[in-house]
Parts: sequence; structure tokens; C-alpha cells
Amino acid sequence: MEDVQVVAMLVRRCMAGDAAAWEEIVQTYNRRIYNICYRFAGTADDAQDLTQEVFIKMYRTLSSYDQSKGAFVTWVTTITRNLLVDHFRKTKHDRMTDSIDTTASEHEDSQPLSEQIPDESAPPDARVRQREVSETVHQALGKLSPELRESVILRDLQDMDYKEIAAVLRVPEGTVKSRINRGRAELARLLQRTYRQVM
Amino acid sequence: MPDHTSNGMQCHEFDLLLSDALDGVLSGTGLDRLHAHARTCKTCGTLFEEAEAGRQWLKGLMEVEPPASLVPNILASTMGVDSQRLQVMTRAPQPRVSWWEHVQASYLEPMWAVVRQPRFAMSFGMAFFALSVGLTVAGVKPSDIRSVDLRPSAIKRTYYNTQARVIRYVDNVRPVLELQAALRTIKRNVNPAEPGPSKQQKERKNDTTQQPEQKQERNYSQSGEKLILAGAPLGSSVFDGSKLDPSNPDLPVVSVTTYRRIV
Repeated sequence: MEDVQVVAMLVRRCMAGDAAAWEEIVQTYNRRIYNICYRFAGTADDAQDLTQEVFIKMYRTLSSYDQSKGAFVTWVTTITRNLLVDHFRKTKHDRMTDSIDTTASEHEDSQPLSEQIPDESAPPDARVRQREVSETVHQALGKLSPELRESVILRDLQDMDYKEIAAVLRVPEGTVKSRINRGRAELARLLQRTYRQVM
Repeated sequence: MPDHTSNGMQCHEFDLLLSDALDGVLSGTGLDRLHAHARTCKTCGTLFEEAEAGRQWLKGLMEVEPPASLVPNILASTMGVDSQRLQVMTRAPQPRVSWWEHVQASYLEPMWAVVRQPRFAMSFGMAFFALSVGLTVAGVKPSDIRSVDLRPSAIKRTYYNTQARVIRYVDNVRPVLELQAALRTIKRNVNPAEPGPSKQQKERKNDTTQQPEQKQERNYSQSGEKLILAGAPLGSSVFDGSKLDPSNPDLPVVSVTTYRRIV
């Protein structure tokens, strides 16, 4: 985890106009932010653009960071999450991720979201298979509702504790836990259904 | 989630403890109660299994690698600079290439790719065939070419030998040329009235206008110039030959020139 004193010093140097300090911050956090954006947005291009936007916003609002209110990583993740929500609203993906098992409201005869994941036969190469499984899980993650998806990403992929997630999402810890449970369960249902079809 | 009590635990409480149980932080009595509730409450039991399975799926997701251009782009968009150090860092390591490999890749391989085309190969074949036939006809043998000494000193010596041969030739020919010139002078002095080529012929030779020569009359019976009077009587008696008078000064004079064909 981050060393609070080191990060505080970096932020101070950066606010004083030290380009090297800002570069160090970018080097330290770009991977984490990119991964959150990639898992949430779904595509590498969107993830890259969003990561860049997050850092631009960070650069402009660095002076608003208050060390006493929380860790720097929580602050960074909060900015990322807020931008992702804005991006989600702009791209109007809400209606597609309301529920995994319900069909799209406009098209009654359309397939359930669980059936929209492509059936991929297992190739002999284990690495290729693992990549395909990862891709399938990634696609299934994209089908979760944004609330469940962000909770699961922060907990299971970014390894944040419930308190930090609650601070980022601005919801009670109990709500975070409930969302994580439901998110995991829906993801499992979706994947079980997908692989049952493959078998 | 339906909220009913089973084995002393409500479904709401189960939901709160489930994540702790899956994370491994719940133990002892709390964990036993949770398992007991999952066994008796079908909804919570299913949730327990599915949440555990979902967690396992997510554990298999690997962290993705950001693109190499991400950090330089961020720095460029925030500070407006793209530091040299970052450029060097993000540049992929290039394998060392020898000069011969570089020449091969840059020049020889593209040239060879062109030469390998059938039409070029055919052209080269024809050129080689024509050259070999030409050399054979000219009597050049490969052994002659092989015996040519191409050392700088040998080339220099060949040059001087050739120069000396040319000078000797000019010296030998000079008396003959001088004798011929003297003979022409004597001949001219002896016969000074010998006409030169006619002026007309000279002019014709010097005519560079590319215009066709004046058409010759095909009248071989007459030579020189001769005036012919062409009569055109005025008035109504045009066809009356008796009224023709050669001495009439009103008649027009037409000049007709004939040339002798020079064979």
C-alpha cells in the first residue's frame, strides 16, 4: 500500500510545480486507474481515454486533496469512479445493464444477456483457453449493472477493503457488502449459464 | 432478499456476514450459524454458492497491461511536455543490426525482389544472349578478356603506348598529305580557268528550307530560253486566227523556261 508520508510529500512537490513529482504520481497510479477503467468501460480505447481524463482532472484538482480525509488512493479512486459514472451516463448504457437475466425491454424476443456472450469452444492450448475464459468473464462483468460492477471491481480486482469502497461510493458499508454479494452471484449465474450452453 | 429468520439468523444478517465469510475473516460461532442458515434457507444457500463461484471467477481475471503510450500521453496532456526520459523508456528495445544486414534489408532485398519478377528475368536473359552472340560474332574470346591487365600501372602504360602509336601514325602520314596539297596547288596554277561548281548547284546544296525543288519540264527537245507570244484577241472574234498579229503590242508576253535534264 501507499506510504502516506511519501505520497503527501509527492503531492506537495507537485503542487509546488515539480514536474518530476507529477510524473512519479502518474507512473505509480496509471496501471491501477487503467485497469479500473478497462474493467468498467469494457474496451481498451475507452479505458485509455478515461484514464487520461482522470489524470487531467487529478492534475487540476490536486490542491483539493485533503490528507486528513482519507488516503490518496481513495481520493484517486473516487475521481476515477465519478468519471466512469459520468461516462456511463453519457454513453447511455444503463438500459443494457439493468439485469442479467431480463431481456431488453424494447425487444421481447431478443436473447437474454446471458445468451449474448459468445459460445467459444475450448481450444487445446491452455494459454489460449485461459485468455478466452478471461475474455468471457470480462464480458460477463460488463453485463452487470453499474452499481454491482463497480463494487465487485473495487473489491475483487482492486482489492480495496469495504470501508474504502464505502468511502468511494459514498454508501454504507452494509450496502457495499450486499452489492458485492449480489454482483458475484449474478456474475456466477451468467457464466454458469454460458458454459452450460457450451457443454 | 426475503428477510426471514432461520437458525437464529435473519437473511439480512446473512447478507452482511456472507462477504466476511467468503473473505475468510469470519470464524467460530458466526461461521457455523451462517452455514446453518444457508442449509435451511434456500435463497441464502443459493446466494452463498453463487457468490463463492463468482468470487472464484473474478480471481481468475488477470490485471491488464496499459499501453506504452499511456504515460507519455498523460504527461503531454497535463504538463504539455513529453519528457525525453519517458520517450526512451517507452521505446521498444531495438535488436542490434550489423551494417551488412542493414544494407541487405534496405537495398539488396528490394532489388532482388524486382529482379525475381519473370519479365525482368526474361529481359536479362535476352540481354545476356544478345551480348554473347555479339561477342562471338566480333571474335572476342573470354580468354582475351581474362588476359587484360587491369592494374593501374598497366593501364597507364597502355595509355602511353596508344598515344605514341597515334603520334607515329600522324608523323608518317604528314609527308603524303603535304605532297597531295602541293600537287593540288600545281594543278590549279596550270589550269586556272577550270570552272568550279555552278552557283545554282551551290545554292541548292545550301538550301536548308526543305522545300521541294522547282519541278522540271519534261521537254527534252528544247533548251535555253525562248520567248513565245500568247495571243488573246480582244472583242468577239476570239477564235478567228486570221486576226492574229504577232506585232501587236497589246498582246501579253509569256516567258517559258525549259531546263535540260542533267544525267
